[in-house]
Amino acid sequence: MHDEFEYGVIGGGLVGASLAYGLAKRGRKVVMFDEADIARRASRGNFALVWVQGKGAAFPVYSDWTIASAMAWSSLAAELEDLTGIHLHHRRPGGFVLCLGEDELAERARDLASLKAHNPDYPYEMLDRRELAKVLRQVGPDVVGASYCALDGDVNSLLLLRSLHMALAQHGGTSLPGRKVLDIGRDGRGFRLKTQSGEVHVDKVILAAGLGNMELGSKVGFDVPVRAQRGEIMVTEKIAPFLHHPMHIIRQTNEGGVMIGDSHEEADDYNSVSMPIQSFMARRAVRMFPCLEALNVVRMWSALRVLSRDGYPIYAQSSTHPGAYLVTCHSGVTLAAAHADRLVPALISGARDTIIDSFGLERFHAEAA
Amino acid sequence: MIGLNSIRELDDRYGLIVIGAGPAGMAAAVEARRHGVGTLVLDENAAVGGQIYRSITATTQKRLAILGKDYAKGAELTEAFAASDAAYLARATVWRLGAEREVAVSHDGVSRLIKADRILVATGAMERPFPVAGWTLPGVMTAGAAQILLKASGAVLGPKTVLAGSGPLLWLLASQYLAAKVPLLAILDTTPKGNLRKAIAHLPGFLTSPYFRKGIGLMARVQRAVPIYSNVENLRAEGYGQLEHVRFRAAGRQHVLSVDHLLLHHGVVPEVNMLRSVGCDLVWDDEQMCWHPVADADGRTSVAGIYVAGDGRAIYGAEAARFGGRRAGLEIAKSLAAVDDATFERTRAEIDKGARPYLRGRIFLDRMFRPRQEHVAPADDAIACRCEEVMGATVRDVATRLKAQGPNQMKAFVRCGMGPCQGRQCSLGITATIAEIRGITPGEVGAYRIRPPLKPIDVGQIAGLETIAEDRH
Repeated sequence: MHDEFEYGVIGGGLVGASLAYGLAKRGRKVVMFDEADIARRASRGNFALVWVQGKGAAFPVYSDWTIASAMAWSSLAAELEDLTGIHLHHRRPGGFVLCLGEDELAERARDLASLKAHNPDYPYEMLDRRELAKVLRQVGPDVVGASYCALDGDVNSLLLLRSLHMALAQHGGTSLPGRKVLDIGRDGRGFRLKTQSGEVHVDKVILAAGLGNMELGSKVGFDVPVRAQRGEIMVTEKIAPFLHHPMHIIRQTNEGGVMIGDSHEEADDYNSVSMPIQSFMARRAVRMFPCLEALNVVRMWSALRVLSRDGYPIYAQSSTHPGAYLVTCHSGVTLAAAHADRLVPALISGARDTIIDSFGLERFHAEAA
Repeated sequence: MIGLNSIRELDDRYGLIVIGAGPAGMAAAVEARRHGVGTLVLDENAAVGGQIYRSITATTQKRLAILGKDYAKGAELTEAFAASDAAYLARATVWRLGAEREVAVSHDGVSRLIKADRILVATGAMERPFPVAGWTLPGVMTAGAAQILLKASGAVLGPKTVLAGSGPLLWLLASQYLAAKVPLLAILDTTPKGNLRKAIAHLPGFLTSPYFRKGIGLMARVQRAVPIYSNVENLRAEGYGQLEHVRFRAAGRQHVLSVDHLLLHHGVVPEVNMLRSVGCDLVWDDEQMCWHPVADADGRTSVAGIYVAGDGRAIYGAEAARFGGRRAGLEIAKSLAAVDDATFERTRAEIDKGARPYLRGRIFLDRMFRPRQEHVAPADDAIACRCEEVMGATVRDVATRLKAQGPNQMKAFVRCGMGPCQGRQCSLGITATIAEIRGITPGEVGAYRIRPPLKPIDVGQIAGLETIAEDRH
């Protein structure tokens, strides 16, 4: 086994794998570490939206970053499909946020108008019930309207994860699953990564370990302001396609199952689901689409979002440990394209990059002061 | 028992909820009620008995003659249960068990959440999946399913029926078919040749088991009447759209038999999904080649207030399950201060004495009928996960190339175990395949995490959970 690499990426989820793949395809010698079969993972539990609308209302640069990634997604999907033969089922038919009641609709219109104030080209429309029903015929009587953004889409995120892992290998990258990184030490100008079974030298290290970044960050001078936020999901049996657009809390997967996910809890136990929350989600989903009522649910789960204090990504290089980078976000699916093809070149070149600089840790220090 | 007709008749809370009305569940309920514990039994079937005594309350003399004395024994226990005043809801599906002993139960299209001070999981065993090529073809079913047809409606399959596999139930079903005067085309005994050598040291223990005499007589009767192929390897079911023939290797030769029905069986394993989902610790038992919940002799699991008894704890059969259930019922009564020390000690001694013969010599059976690895880990051209149609070759490829460490990573990569059966049919096979490739034990590989619902349940019932609670208050 090679035990010296130019880049070590800690984390084999969507964020880590996007970065490792982006590095490997640019000819960098990269190793990606992941934990054992069971760990606190976000990538295996996500909702699989490639989503733009509503993001970055208070932080326009994040809105731009999200749009850039959504626009770049088709080429990432095509490239991965060519390489691995796995069809990712990426689509961008435009997405809806359905509103139950006039209050929800008014609030939605206000939020999107504020985005438009920052970005006059911000692409969205508000639809009333009559207009909406033309596109989504099964929509229930309680839905009074919706917002629509043509840039929204979705993908099969599990196949994305698999194809990123395959593509990494095809570009000569090394994957070390079952090798949790326990410690990071200095090693000349690089780093020594200590795992349960041996040490690996890397010149540069990228922390992409989700919630694990909190502990790992402390080894290389980062104080990582992230927390876990639990989201719950249920998925139904497979049925013939009837939802041709993703919605922020309901989508039909390419396999035919309908995913319903509509919760935000401040909790870090991902091993259980809450019956009141599942019931709440089911009630709202049935109000949106009464035809869902008769479908069998085959699975409920919860997963942990990795949320920074302001909810936006963090991209940073350590000031005390140059060559150590921190990458964290809660939109690993949407931002996969930006991470692989925009963030990676910036990391490699080392030159200052205005977009990436905006996502540094300084904004939290300013907030504290 | 007090038979309930509607989910609305359930109380919000019980002293004890028993899940499963097989021998362990019924015996536990009878014992707990004897000491005054408020007890509810929930069971999926239309009548009590579990799988082993299925349809015992509605059987006929003719069927009893075919099914034999051990089946008839179930009547005694079901009568004792009927005479008790435990509450009982039939056709009730428990689809979630929460660590705070909250049970989500569905009946007639309505779901409710109810609570108990103690829960006894008596959900029994399931047949070990037999993932050979063609095992999902119409015409292939398990021996256990064929026996349910016999118990529930006296139906037999014929005329070109083959039994394949190993273990006591295979021979029992064959003898029941003989008693029903239905010919079997052949028995393909897949028991590996070397098993006897590994088991023989434990034969003396087994000689003292009540199952020895029964088993030896039954096998002899079947062997006289049915052609047997021994040491069968590379079993596969083949056919275009439905089963047409079975292909296998025996005594150094390839064989092909033209058949209508193939009944597969190679042992039973505890059904542990409910216990796993609520966070009970499980361990890999290499003798029985399955997961066992960690539990003491009273059935206490690692989660407070949750107990397990019967074949869901470890495979010892119906008689042992009855005693195990009774002992758990007694212990639960004691934990709720419903029984005095003297009665407890006396009753427990009586139970243990009764159970003893049925616990003897099990290791002989485990070793004698240990299944073939090639029939446990799905072959490349066998479907590994029926729900998601994942082939054995895909699982091997991902375990090798992407180095998936365990079944949960495998699930994320290829969707195995994501379907409505919640991995019941593929869990052991996926774990076995990964263990083989990684060169470690199944215990080290681990198993799928189990999520609710344990059985599929419609969105409307989940949406309705809260409103029912509101209606009642």
